[in-house]
Amino acid sequence: MEKRSRAMPADSDSSRPARALPRRALFTRRRSPAEPTADYWIRVFRRAMACRFEVTLSGEDARHIPAARAALDEVDRLEALLTVFRDTSALSDLNRRAALEDARADGELFDLLVRCRALHAETEGAFDPTSTPLSRCWGFLRREARRPAPEEIEAARVCVGMDGAALDLERRTVRFDRAGLELNLGAIGKGYALDRAAAHLRAGGVAHALLSAAGSSVVAVGDGRDPRGFWIDVGSRRLERPVARLRLRDGAVGTSGAGEQFFEVEGRRYGHVIDPRTGWPAEGVLSATVVAGDAALADALSTAFLVGGAGLAERVVAARAGVLAILTLEGEPRPRVLGSYPGAILEELCT
Amino acid sequence: MHLTPEDKELGRRNFLKALAGTPALAALGGALAVRGPIKGGPVRVGAIAIGSHGRGHMHRPDLAYCNLVAVADINPDSLRRIDEELAKRKRPPVKHYSDWREMLQKEDLEAIITAPPLGAHAEITVGCLEAGKHVFCEKMMAWDDAGCDAMVDAARKSGKVVEIGYQRYYNRMYQAAYEGIVKAGKLGDLYTARIVWNRNKNWRREAGPAPQGLDPKAWGYEDYDHLINWRLYKKHSQGLTAELGSHMVNVTNWFFGAKAKSVVASGGIFRFKDREVPDHIYANFEYPDGRTAVFTSTESDPFEGNYEAFFGTKGTLIFESEKNAYFFDHSGDGKAAATEIEVGPKTGPVLETTESRPPDAVGRQATTAGTMATGDPYKTEVERWCAAIRTGRPVECGPERAMSSAKACIRANQALDQGKRLDV
Repeated sequence: MEKRSRAMPADSDSSRPARALPRRALFTRRRSPAEPTADYWIRVFRRAMACRFEVTLSGEDARHIPAARAALDEVDRLEALLTVFRDTSALSDLNRRAALEDARADGELFDLLVRCRALHAETEGAFDPTSTPLSRCWGFLRREARRPAPEEIEAARVCVGMDGAALDLERRTVRFDRAGLELNLGAIGKGYALDRAAAHLRAGGVAHALLSAAGSSVVAVGDGRDPRGFWIDVGSRRLERPVARLRLRDGAVGTSGAGEQFFEVEGRRYGHVIDPRTGWPAEGVLSATVVAGDAALADALSTAFLVGGAGLAERVVAARAGVLAILTLEGEPRPRVLGSYPGAILEELCT
Repeated sequence: MHLTPEDKELGRRNFLKALAGTPALAALGGALAVRGPIKGGPVRVGAIAIGSHGRGHMHRPDLAYCNLVAVADINPDSLRRIDEELAKRKRPPVKHYSDWREMLQKEDLEAIITAPPLGAHAEITVGCLEAGKHVFCEKMMAWDDAGCDAMVDAARKSGKVVEIGYQRYYNRMYQAAYEGIVKAGKLGDLYTARIVWNRNKNWRREAGPAPQGLDPKAWGYEDYDHLINWRLYKKHSQGLTAELGSHMVNVTNWFFGAKAKSVVASGGIFRFKDREVPDHIYANFEYPDGRTAVFTSTESDPFEGNYEAFFGTKGTLIFESEKNAYFFDHSGDGKAAATEIEVGPKTGPVLETTESRPPDAVGRQATTAGTMATGDPYKTEVERWCAAIRTGRPVECGPERAMSSAKACIRANQALDQGKRLDV
């Protein structure tokens, strides 16, 4: 803490969302383009995918507000495609059909599923978009978490396994090898949507922006007109304070944890992220933050590392260049840092 | 209506959210309830024909409203059971009669609760009103049109408080939905209701031998089985349409703000050949302005259970088993949420990355937490009727309201028998 207090401004509000300034402030700044860097952020946001999606622009980039809106429209489009909370989405449609037939999938959705399959293999099964029956079995989908009977877990496990979803790359079809299998892109969808939104911004000539979804998925476009990069604190809800300060240029962040959704039985804590390989809640990692080239990857790996622990993270980071992992482990006072990302600097580790 | 757990969670939260800007569930509950003790003290009540359903009305109401003095039932077994029920709940004992007319002559009663076989509703209700008693009569109103008309007429002439027992009117969930969703226009233009009650059971109960001292024939029942299983015999019953469907038609009338104008029906005695009323019935009730309620009741597959679903241009509202409500808002589907803009100083980090919070991680919208508060509709309806007797405050389902749903259900059975569309 002592170290942190030296390194960070004393302003205790610094990590909270900015309060709105008078409208006049915005327009005053817009009339002063000569200023080298504005001293305020413009946050353009809306609700999508059950959370706040936000595009943060530096003050002098106010002209890009329409582009930020268009990027958020892209998120809405992807929600309509990927959500399992609407009957009308392409994914809901696929889930209905793929147990019965070789179901043709929307092109973009299919590409994302191919990527999911590769990530499932790379993470030794720790990232698995078919794990919904387990979350349901543990009651986390209804927020009525409880410890299920062993046979309930076994019954749910039968319906889990990305390898049970056969992807035909030529015909671009999906076929489930058993009834009860279902795909849910909750662990990668926000990141993927941010990647697409960021691509829209770049194509529209936006050089600097920070995009985020729920704070758990982040994409940095450019450096925010600060050569050190965007300042992002890395938090862990179970520690209730940041564990690291990150500077990021052109990269993405994904954070997973089980500090918010959990229950306790007989002194043992059960978190909402279920290890698809065992059917039991993941243990040992309080939070996992991954910095990588894109947010879909960062999201998937952060979930996988929460489930698979430091051992899996070490193996994945060793085999793949350009991934930085910050793991807060049960019983370890300092976060563990693995690998590196070219646009990321860890300025501070707070213990 | 088979909804996935996720659908239910979403629909339940949407329902509560839709009510957030309107009088809340709790407030509506407060408006429904009455606060005792009431001026003038508890109403001196007699009960007539207290079978399994009638007994429920006996022990629920607060003693501050309803002072049960005597009961009349032709079946000694029912009288024994009400004694047991009251003793179990530490309520005062009551006097017994087999003939309700004798009870009216001998007891100083203000009001009557009655739940006899449907065929006897009109006779008992009209008799009690003519004797100057207020009446709470279990639904459906009456076995035929003439019975409904006679009850309405007697209620008017007597000036007494008459309520027909449709407990959904006293269920906070339905009241809140009516105020906060239907009246507030959140369903858009409402064209269709689907009202369904499916189960897989033989309606028949084990009758056994008649208790000593009971001669069913003397009371118009062919034998003891006809008394116990009156729901299966046409002379006493209008079958599933009345016993299950009338609840739902009544709610549809309420939410549509209209009465059915005609009905077509099909169905029959397909599975259980031991009865005179259909075990499968399908009826389409046609309302003014192109609205239709489709009623299904089957005694074969309980998969869909029982529900009322209202389909509008902007949303769908579903009540499941009188216990849960779900709302699906279609007005926002596919449309972007409003974009907002904030401006803030560049002090500290641009953001903190953490795991997403629960409302973000599951479901679609973060809304009010809470459980569905239905209250105890059976208790409230009797208490409100007692309070109405004392204060003159109108009851929710008086004879006119009950008559429109009863006649629609009677007509549905006639449409089935005659094989044609009939005007209600």
